[in-house]
Amino acid sequence: MERDTELALVERLRRGDLDAFDDVYAAFNTRLFTFLVRLSRRRDVAEDLLEETWLRLVKHAQRLGADTRLGPWLFTVARNLHVSYLRSRMLEDSAAASLIALWPFSLEHSSPFEAAAASELERRIERALAAMPAASREVLLLVAVAGLDHSDAADICGITPEALRQRLHRARETLSKVLERDAEAGVPAPGGMTSCPIR
Amino acid sequence: MSDPLTRLLAELPLGEPDAARAERTRMGCRALLARQASRASASRGPSSGRRSVQVWQLLIGVLGVAYLTEVIVQALSVYGPP
Repeated sequence: MERDTELALVERLRRGDLDAFDDVYAAFNTRLFTFLVRLSRRRDVAEDLLEETWLRLVKHAQRLGADTRLGPWLFTVARNLHVSYLRSRMLEDSAAASLIALWPFSLEHSSPFEAAAASELERRIERALAAMPAASREVLLLVAVAGLDHSDAADICGITPEALRQRLHRARETLSKVLERDAEAGVPAPGGMTSCPIR
Repeated sequence: MSDPLTRLLAELPLGEPDAARAERTRMGCRALLARQASRASASRGPSSGRRSVQVWQLLIGVLGVAYLTEVIVQALSVYGPP
C-alpha cells in the first residue's frame, strides 16, 4: 500500500469513515488470517484472534496517530493477542513441549495448511513451520511469508533489529535442518537450501 | 528474497478465513465504528448547546440589570428628594 494512500486511510478511519474501514479490511484481512493461522496452528483460534484484531482497530480508530502505519499496527495487535492467548491457555511452546515429553504417545505438530498443501514439499514446509517454537515461527512468518521488513518485524515482536536478525538466522537454520532431515528420509529438498543467507 | 528457502516461504499459499464469519466481523466492526462516530458528533453537539445557553443567561442578566436600574431611577424620581 502506498504511503500516501495509507495516510489518507488513517485520516478517514480517525473520522469514522466506514468505507475506509472496508478498504483496510480488504487489504489486510487475508494476510492477517494467514499469519494467525500459521502462528496458532488452529483455524478457530486464528479466526477469534482475527476478529479481536479488527475490533481493536475500530475501538482505537479515533486515537490512531496521523502517521500510523496500518500493517505493522495490525500485525502487532494480532501478534500480541496470540501471546495473550498462549499465556491464558498456558500453551507456551516450552511448557507444552515439556508436557508433551511426558505424554506416553507421540504428538505431532500439524498445521491447518498441511491438508490443503498442493505439493509434498509444501506439506513438509508447513509441517516444519508448525513444529518450530513460536518465537522462531513468528519471525519467519512476518519476514519471509508476510513480507514485512526487518525493522517492522522487530517492532512487532518487541525486540531490537539485531535480535530479530539473530532469531531469523536461527529460525532459518532450524527450518533448513528439519527439511534436510525430511529429505534424507526420502523426499529431496529444494536445491541450495542448506546454505541460505539471511535476507 | 532470492534463496530457495525464502522463495518457498514467500510462495506459501494464503489462508482464507470462513467467508460468513469474515462478513459478520466486517459488518460488526462497521456498526461499531458508526456508533462511535455518531457518539463523537453527539458529544461535540452539547458543547455548542452549552455556548448558546451561556449567551442567553448573559442576555437575561443584562436585561434584568437594566430593568432594575430603570425601576430604581423611576422610584427615585417619584419618592426621591425634590
